[in-house]
Amino acid sequence: MNNIFKFLSCLLIINSLISAQSFKVKAEDTQKFIFSEKIKDNQITFSSSTPLEDVNGTANSISGTVNFNNSNFEKTIKSKLVVNVKSLNTGIELRNHHLQSANWLDVSKYPDIVFELISISGLKQVADNKLTFNAKGNFTLHGVTKEIDLDAEAIYLTENDQTQKKAPGDLLGISAKFKLNLSDYKIDNSLVGNRVAEKIDVKVTIVGSNKL
Amino acid sequence: MNKKQKYVLIIALILIILTVIIWISTGSEIFTKTQVLVEKKDELFGWTEKQWIKKFVWGLDLTLSIDFVTIIASTIFFFIFRRKNKRN
Repeated sequence: MNNIFKFLSCLLIINSLISAQSFKVKAEDTQKFIFSEKIKDNQITFSSSTPLEDVNGTANSISGTVNFNNSNFEKTIKSKLVVNVKSLNTGIELRNHHLQSANWLDVSKYPDIVFELISISGLKQVADNKLTFNAKGNFTLHGVTKEIDLDAEAIYLTENDQTQKKAPGDLLGISAKFKLNLSDYKIDNSLVGNRVAEKIDVKVTIVGSNKL
Repeated sequence: MNKKQKYVLIIALILIILTVIIWISTGSEIFTKTQVLVEKKDELFGWTEKQWIKKFVWGLDLTLSIDFVTIIASTIFFFIFRRKNKRN
């Protein structure tokens, strides 16, 4: 009898821990957030550091969706995000042109950079409306698809006067960081005399709305 | 070397030193930039974003271009003034 009580207590604790790891917000369970250029300040920043030169840039044309069921965030989340290569900006027109040329990202052949989520793990609830997790997904760049891992944070904001200034509806903000190796995607940085590092740091800060 | 040739050399040297000083004092960038990234905090989500602002940054490319033109021009003037000197 005592063992059964202990077992049930354990089940209850485990269950409460699992159910705690989703957004504790007043919202419907099934959620679909749309990410688009209509929302201001969505961006991906990338940086490369070499002894000769630091290159920093942004990409602002980001579109896609994130779907999940809030009752089981970890198992139900699905996402596909697309970045238009033409929106990459390094602050120098000539360098942008070079970046998009056939020698580098070849925008005419590969116009998009795509991230498709496979699964998430290590879900932690940081606040009622904030989750952190590790995401695994297929990252396609320059026509090459590789599986990558990234550390991500998701923030859910229910619609209010402040959020409406950015976009209508509830907002889902996602920030993530990861590194990518250019050679993995058949991009040869020796073409520019190694002025661009082999490893590129990428940071994502994007916001989606469920009323777009 | 006559007086005019000396002036040409001094002006060229001052220009070259000036461009190098400007280049070093503005951050020793390789390329000249007309816009730079600055960090901006998103009050809603609490994270920092980057934003392009218009700002001129003097680069090594501009320094070398000005120095190259200065050297060519001063060499030409140096020889012009030498000929005039010979004629006189």
